[in-house]
Amino acid sequence: MMIRDLLGRTTILDRAIVLVLAAAAVSLVFFQAGRPPGEKVIVERDGRVVFTAPLAVDRTVRLDGPLGPTTLKIHDGKACVTDSPCPLKICMGMGEVARSGDLVACVPNHLLIRVSGGREKDKEYDLLSR
Amino acid sequence: MSKPSRLSRPFFILLLLLLLYGLWIFSRPAEEPSQPLVRSRLLMGTVVEITAFGSPPDALERAVTAAFAEMARIEELMSPHRTGSDVARLAEAETEPVAVASETAEVITLGLTVAARSGGAFDLCLGRLKDLWGIETDHPRVPTPEEIQAALEGTGQKKLQVIDNTIVKHDPRSAVDLGGIAKGFALERAARVMEEAGIRHAAVNAGGDIRLIGDKLGGPWRIGVQHPRDSGKILARLALQDVAVVTSGDYERFFMRDGHRYHHLFDPATGYPADRCQSVTVVAPRADLADALATAAFVLGPKKGLDFLKSYPEVEGMIVDAAGQLTATPGLKGRTQ
Repeated sequence: MMIRDLLGRTTILDRAIVLVLAAAAVSLVFFQAGRPPGEKVIVERDGRVVFTAPLAVDRTVRLDGPLGPTTLKIHDGKACVTDSPCPLKICMGMGEVARSGDLVACVPNHLLIRVSGGREKDKEYDLLSR
Repeated sequence: MSKPSRLSRPFFILLLLLLLYGLWIFSRPAEEPSQPLVRSRLLMGTVVEITAFGSPPDALERAVTAAFAEMARIEELMSPHRTGSDVARLAEAETEPVAVASETAEVITLGLTVAARSGGAFDLCLGRLKDLWGIETDHPRVPTPEEIQAALEGTGQKKLQVIDNTIVKHDPRSAVDLGGIAKGFALERAARVMEEAGIRHAAVNAGGDIRLIGDKLGGPWRIGVQHPRDSGKILARLALQDVAVVTSGDYERFFMRDGHRYHHLFDPATGYPADRCQSVTVVAPRADLADALATAAFVLGPKKGLDFLKSYPEVEGMIVDAAGQLTATPGLKGRTQ
């Protein structure tokens, strides 16, 4: 009854304003929730940043280390090492990373690949003991 | 001329609420109000990451850099692969006393204590056995029983003695390996350096071995514990502060042969990888103690291991046995989220 009464006392312009505002609020909520969890890839060598790139843009890049080039692939919002000159290929076995704080390391080739810039509170934990 | 809008009071309030909600969404901060400084280095064969809160930023940066430098210094002392390190010189020595840094003597003293209390489940002299298996190399193999028996010569806590800052090997075949404790000690030293610099909220994470300083600005740190058989899952989440957390598992460094998993945590009694557990997580006041206890409990197995952890009053732990069953000390259950 109250809603019908309310609608009866509004003009088309009133209803249009309400609809626009409601749509804006809902889209903002979806925009916030739907953002990618990690926003950029940072690569460090011996403590110095040697490469950064947004996770949202697909690319393949060669990163030079003391053993030779390591290939980093960014695809579909995820990053992974697809080729490495290191002996055990552990970095390749670490798979894809996409969330803020995720790391891929190639210790022999002195490369550290990190995802950064996402929303901290989306994470299930602060640190992982393993 | 158009007819003016006839907005009622409840309708106006509704509009106002929607506007306020939109403004709140726009204006709220995307990140936490106080951002930590996060820095990483490749040290001790793993990724070391330090997360620290505080100000001013340049002082925080200096403290974190000093903590990394301290860990690198400990690595120089205790790595068996660094020429001239204390451990390398111990490897070359026969039975003559070897002068070492006070830090090395401290680590070996703690290691011998854990070795004695665990009945030999923790052993600082497994260097030859580790070399024989080559688990952490690109050519691991299953040695013959004879080779294993020969590599076990010179093991056992009674083969080492600490006299002030001097180490004596009573058997020239003893190959000191501090792999089960040195990383924890380096974490402890890094934490000390940062505390001395006035940092009250920080975490040092060396490949999953963690030392926490204080809480995470107003709340405990949320520590996920890796599931030993599903790398995408966590076993538990612990709410902790001002402690060290170390997990030893058979899933980090291993190779498969004929359907059998051969990993890097050796039982000094047999010379083979210990097979009673999948993982052990220890929460302790010090990282070096947590490091050594996690290895010892892993070798002891779920029942003896848990009893062993309970014998340390300030230590808590959880063990996943070979069948995947989880048990924990009573004190840890209250901190699990």
